[in-house]
Amino acid sequence: MNIAMILEMAADALGDRLAYGTRAEGLSYEDLRSAARGIADRVDGSGAQRLALLEANAPIVPATLFGAAWAGVSYAPLNYRLPEAQLEALLSRIEPAVVSAPHWLDNKGTGDRAFPDSPDAPAVLLFTSGTSAEPKAAILEHDQLLAYIFNTLEFGSAGEDEAAIVVVPPFHVAGVAAVLSNTYVGRRIVPVPGVRFSAEDWLVTARDEQITHAMLVPTMLGKIVEAMEADESLRVPTLRAMSYGGSRMPPPILERALHLFPEVDFVNAYGLTETSSTVAILGPDDHRLALYSDEPLFKARLSSVGQPVPGIEFRIVDESGASLGPDEPGEILIRGDQVSGKYVGTDSKVDAEGWLHTGDRGWLDVEGYVFCEGRADDTIIRGGENIGPAEVEDALLQHDAISVAAVVGLADEQYGEKIASMISLRAGVDDVDLDHVREWVRERIGSLKTPEIIVVVDEVPQTATGKILRREVKRLLEDG
Amino acid sequence: MPNQMGKRYTCAECEATVLVTKAGDGELSCHGVAMEIAQAKPLPSSD
Repeated sequence: MNIAMILEMAADALGDRLAYGTRAEGLSYEDLRSAARGIADRVDGSGAQRLALLEANAPIVPATLFGAAWAGVSYAPLNYRLPEAQLEALLSRIEPAVVSAPHWLDNKGTGDRAFPDSPDAPAVLLFTSGTSAEPKAAILEHDQLLAYIFNTLEFGSAGEDEAAIVVVPPFHVAGVAAVLSNTYVGRRIVPVPGVRFSAEDWLVTARDEQITHAMLVPTMLGKIVEAMEADESLRVPTLRAMSYGGSRMPPPILERALHLFPEVDFVNAYGLTETSSTVAILGPDDHRLALYSDEPLFKARLSSVGQPVPGIEFRIVDESGASLGPDEPGEILIRGDQVSGKYVGTDSKVDAEGWLHTGDRGWLDVEGYVFCEGRADDTIIRGGENIGPAEVEDALLQHDAISVAAVVGLADEQYGEKIASMISLRAGVDDVDLDHVREWVRERIGSLKTPEIIVVVDEVPQTATGKILRREVKRLLEDG
Repeated sequence: MPNQMGKRYTCAECEATVLVTKAGDGELSCHGVAMEIAQAKPLPSSD
């Protein structure tokens, strides 16, 4: 099959329903199909094998995604914030390619142009964020993306009033999944205007467009929580469901969000670029149970990423590759039809038995709930003790002056590594006593895990989707 | 009975699953019996 089938079905069955944009000016599924066919017509004569996108969220995004599928070429959304030289370098790695432009929407496709059946052709090429290494172009095939859609969703299941606000950029796997899954269920997508994320813009757009569904990365949710705590008029009464993912959610921020949105169903979605988005979900009931139960097993699950979605298996292994039991931490392996693990020009990360080696460190609890601590490479080893940066970051974030915290290990002659932290302060906080912050952390997790170095900055280096750029944080802290 | 758009039909005898991408009047059958609509367990929206 071909991911174009998703839009074909929506246009056939729900034609006039709004697919993308505001209530006043949005495109219907039929409009979007015409636009996608028009884009495919343009690609035909170009000789390109890839259709690249260099835009922020706007109607050209879903039109380019589906247009590429209709033309039988790969869709390659790139990070439009990169400097020109880096963009040129990425484009040269996916040649022969053409780049779409917003005015391409004016070219409506004619007739019933069909799309090719190409189950194992590369549908989407996504450059990984490269927080720890050079970016690689991950390949997602049509059938892998469709496995995720067909295994987890019911066609046309959204009510006509449903609308999802999308703020993750198009070049992130969650941006691709948002277009595919919302189109399949028939839920209108509303992008937030502007290139930089603003909590106020998000809250105002969500309220004005009567948003029912939202997906955010943790740093964005953190900013929204801060804005709502500061201004009680900023509320989204129509909101029913909030999912979050993209990087680890610090429980202190999640708890504040749960209290601000008591009626909303929270979902934690865990996935990788290489797994065609979500592979595990922590559902609304798990969140409520975690928040209100005294049972330690349930309480702990506020920091779990939940259970595998249908068609997905998880396994935890030690360094020799042997399977580990419940509560034993090791490397997370994932297997299933939506798992790719292939890259342009380099070896696959999937082994002979189909397991993707994620490089993430975590464990499963007795009922198979997945806990992910972050990248295995980020673990700090101090005096022979393994320390996950997440635990230290969470302790820092419980302090009411701190907005974002990044913790890394720096070389230390005596203990091998020492703990260093870069923090930014919440809106309205001008200054913080660092000795007080150290004491705060020491009281919670002990002196071994307390940062020796704490540096306050205006903005902690992050990717466009709020993932902390640890390489950069480390480099800055090393340079003093 | 006509088949329904976007529904998945399964066979009671084998592993066959059919997704209806264009609805029609025909009845889907496998192993000589009508295929039944698969009741999907809805997952909460994650994106």
